[in-house]
Amino acid sequence: MSILIDILLAIIMVYLAIQCLLTPRLIQSVFLFFAFGLGLALAWVRLGAIDVAITEAAIAAGFLGVLFLDALKSFAPKVSVKQDNLEDIYKLPRRNIKSLILPRVILVLGLALFLFIALEAVWMIPDGGGLTASAEALLPQSGVEHPVTAVLLNFRAYDTWLEIGVILLGLLGVFVAGGIKLYKKPGASKPDPMLRQVILFVTPVLFLFGAFLLYIGKTGPGGAFQAAVLWGAIGILLHLGGKPIFAMIPRWLFHLILTMGLGFFLVLGFLLIADGRTLFEYPPAYAGLLILIIETLGAISIAAALTAIYANLNQMEEETNEVEPTT
Amino acid sequence: MIHLPSSPFPALLVGLPILMATLSLFFRPGGKAAVGLMGSILTAGLALIAFVEVTQRGTVIHILGGWEPPLGILLRMDSLAAVFIGMTAIVGVFISLYAWGYFRAQETSAEGLPLFWPLWLFLWAGLNGLFLSNDLFNLFVTIEVIGISAVSLAVLTGKTPALFAGLRYLLAAITGSMAYLFGVSLLYGSTGTLDLGLLGEVLEPGPTTSFSLLVITLGLMIKMAGFPFHFWLPPAHSSAPAPVSALLSALVVKGAFYILLRLWMEVFGVSLTYAAGQLIGLAGAIAVIWGSWQALIQTSFKLIVAHSSVAQLGYLLMVFPLLILAPGVSADSADWLSPAWTAGIYQVIAHAFAKASFFLSAGLIIMALGHDRIESLRDLVGNMRITALAIGIAGVSLIGLPPSGGFMAKWMLLKGIFLSGQWWWAPVVLMGSLLTAGYVFMLLRLAFAPAREMNTFRPVPKSLEIIALMLALGSFLIVFPADSLIQFLESSGVFGSGIESIIEGGVYGND
Repeated sequence: MSILIDILLAIIMVYLAIQCLLTPRLIQSVFLFFAFGLGLALAWVRLGAIDVAITEAAIAAGFLGVLFLDALKSFAPKVSVKQDNLEDIYKLPRRNIKSLILPRVILVLGLALFLFIALEAVWMIPDGGGLTASAEALLPQSGVEHPVTAVLLNFRAYDTWLEIGVILLGLLGVFVAGGIKLYKKPGASKPDPMLRQVILFVTPVLFLFGAFLLYIGKTGPGGAFQAAVLWGAIGILLHLGGKPIFAMIPRWLFHLILTMGLGFFLVLGFLLIADGRTLFEYPPAYAGLLILIIETLGAISIAAALTAIYANLNQMEEETNEVEPTT
Repeated sequence: MIHLPSSPFPALLVGLPILMATLSLFFRPGGKAAVGLMGSILTAGLALIAFVEVTQRGTVIHILGGWEPPLGILLRMDSLAAVFIGMTAIVGVFISLYAWGYFRAQETSAEGLPLFWPLWLFLWAGLNGLFLSNDLFNLFVTIEVIGISAVSLAVLTGKTPALFAGLRYLLAAITGSMAYLFGVSLLYGSTGTLDLGLLGEVLEPGPTTSFSLLVITLGLMIKMAGFPFHFWLPPAHSSAPAPVSALLSALVVKGAFYILLRLWMEVFGVSLTYAAGQLIGLAGAIAVIWGSWQALIQTSFKLIVAHSSVAQLGYLLMVFPLLILAPGVSADSADWLSPAWTAGIYQVIAHAFAKASFFLSAGLIIMALGHDRIESLRDLVGNMRITALAIGIAGVSLIGLPPSGGFMAKWMLLKGIFLSGQWWWAPVVLMGSLLTAGYVFMLLRLAFAPAREMNTFRPVPKSLEIIALMLALGSFLIVFPADSLIQFLESSGVFGSGIESIIEGGVYGND
C-alpha cells in the first residue's frame, strides 16, 4: 500500500515540476511551485525526515512564496503577466525554430543518457549504513535528545555556523544588487482594518508556535531554522501593516540582531579555544544550555535576515513604481 | 590522521575573518574600510604564522567540537593547504591595500560599495575553510560561502551589465554546487562517511562511484570555468570593480581546482581511468587555445585579461592526464610526477600574482581614462610608467618567459609531458604561449606607441601603481625559494603522488 502512495507522490511531483516550467502564466508557475514544495515536504515525511519536511514546507511554500508573489506584483502594472509578454518586454531574441532542431535533439539525447546513468547509479547504490548509528551512540554526551539537533548543533556545529553565515551573506548580496533601501520609511500606507485585525490575531500565535518549535527541537523534530521562518513571518506581516520594524529601531540594534547568532556562536568557539578545547567543543555539563542559547539567538538572527531580505525587496519595488508610473 | 598534532590555527583562520566581517557591519562606510583592512592584515599575519607552524611541526589538525570523523569534522593543514593559504594571504593583503585606496578615489559611490569589506572577509574565510576542509559536505558549505560572496562582490557596482553578468555567474555557480552535492549524497549513501581520508580507504569501484566522479567533476569544472563551462567568467570578471576582478581571477577559481585535485588524488583513485585523465586534459587544451585566441581579438583591456584567465586555467587541467598513470606503470618509476606537480602549483601561484597585477593595472587605467578601450593605451609609458612596467612584467610571467614563475610552470609542464611520453600536449603549451605573447605584446606595443591625439590621463595615486607593480614582481620572486618550497610540499600530503589506473571497465569508468 505504502509503495503505491510513494509512486503516486513521485508521479505527481514530476508532473508538477514539468507543469511549473511549461505553464504560460507566471502566476500559475508560482502556485505550481508552492504545490511542488508541499509535495516535496510530503516526500520528506515519507522518507522519515520530519525536520527537513517542516523546513521544506516553511521555506519553499512559505518564504519563497512571499518573495515570488511580491516579485510578480512588480511586473503586474506593466503587463498581464504572461511569459510570452515578458520576452517581448525584455527583448529576448526569438530565434528561428528550425535552426534549433539539431541542438535540441542533441540536448534531449544527452539528457536522456545522463538520466539513464544517473538512474543506474542510484539504483545500484551500495548500502553504506550512514552515520545514524554512531550519532545515536554519542547522543547522551551531546546535551540534547534529538539526533538531528545533536548533529546540527553539536557534532557538526561548524557546518551549521557557516550556513548561518550564508544566510547573512544572502542579505548582503540583496543589499549590493538592489541598494540599501531598508532604512527608508515607506510612504504613508492606507490603514487596512482587516489587515490590522489579522496581524493582531496572528502575530502572537506565530510567535508562540515558533518558540514551541525552537524548544521542542531539543527532543523532537523542530529547531532554529523552522522557528526562524515563523518569526520572520511576523516581521513581514508587521512590514505589510505599515510598521517596518527595521526603519523604526536604531541601526546598531538591527545589526546586533542580525549578527548575534553568528557572533555568539563564534565568540563562544574562540573562548573554548582559549580554554584549551577545540572550536565548538562544549563542556558536556553545559552543552544543553549552550545549544539552547545558540538556537534562540540563531533563530532571531535568521528571522531578522529573512525579514530584511523581504523588506529591502519590497522597498525597491515601491521606488521603481514611483519612478515609472503605471501605464 | 587523528594522531597528528593538534593546533588552534586552522579554526582561527576561518573564524578571524568572519569575526572581523561581522564587526565591520556595525560601522559607517569609512569605519567599514578601516575594520576591513585591519581584518585583512590580521588574517594575513595569522596565515603566515600558521604556515611557519606547518613548516616546523608538519601537518596539523583541528578536530572541531572534539568529535572525531566520520561523525565530526576535521580541519587538516598539510603542506599543500599551507601553500594555498599562504598564497591567498599574500595576494589578498596586497589587493586589500589596493582596494583601500581604490574605493577612496572613487567619485561615484554606490551604496553597496563599502560592503566590499565584509564580503571580501567572508570570501577569505570561505577560501581558508576550503583549503583546510577534510570533509565532503563541509567542502560544499565552503563553496556556498565562496560562491555567494563572490557573486555579491561581482555586482558591487550595481550597474546593469554587472547585474546581468552576476546573475549568469550565480546560475552557473548554483548549477555547479548542485551537481557537486548530488555526487556527495551518492558517495555518502554508498559509504556512510564524508571524511576524505576514510572515503579514500573504503570507496569501491562501481557505477555509483563512477557517476559521483562524473557529476562532482562536472560541478567543479563549472565552478573553475573549465572548457566548455567558461562562458560565465569573462563577463562576470570584467564587469566587476578592479580589486574584485583581481580576487575572482587570482583566488576564487583556484578553490574549485584545489578541491578537484584533492578529490581525484585522495578519493577517486579507484574509479579513474587513463581515458578520464586524457578527457579532462583535452578540455584544458581547448581552453588554452580558445581562451588565448579570444583574448587576442578583444578590444577592451579587462576582457582581454578575463579571457586570458580561461586560458591560464586550462593549463591547470592539463596537469591531470600526467598524474594518472597508464596501466602497468607504478608511481615509483614515474619520474614525471614531480615536474607535473611542480608545474601545477607554480601555475596556480604565478597566475595568482600576475593576474591580480593585471586587473589592478586595468583598474588604474580606468581611473585615469574613464574607460579601458585598448586603442587609448597609446603613450601609456609616457603617462603611467609604473603601471606600464607592471603590465610588462606580469605579461612576461603569463607568457612564460624566463626567469618568471610562469616560465617555471610551463617548463616543468613540458618536462613532465616529455618524460611521460604524452608528447601530444606539447604543441598546445607552445601554441598557448605564442598566443599569449601575441596579446601581451599587442598591449605593450600600444603602450609604447606615440599618442595620436592628446589623451587626457588623469593622475592616479602612485601608491596604487606600486601595489600593482609589487604583485607583478611577486610572480618573479616566487622562483627563488623554489627548491625549499618543493621540499616543503613533498614533506607531507599528496604532492608528488600519482594514480595507478586500470584500463578495463565500462563506458565511463571501470565497473
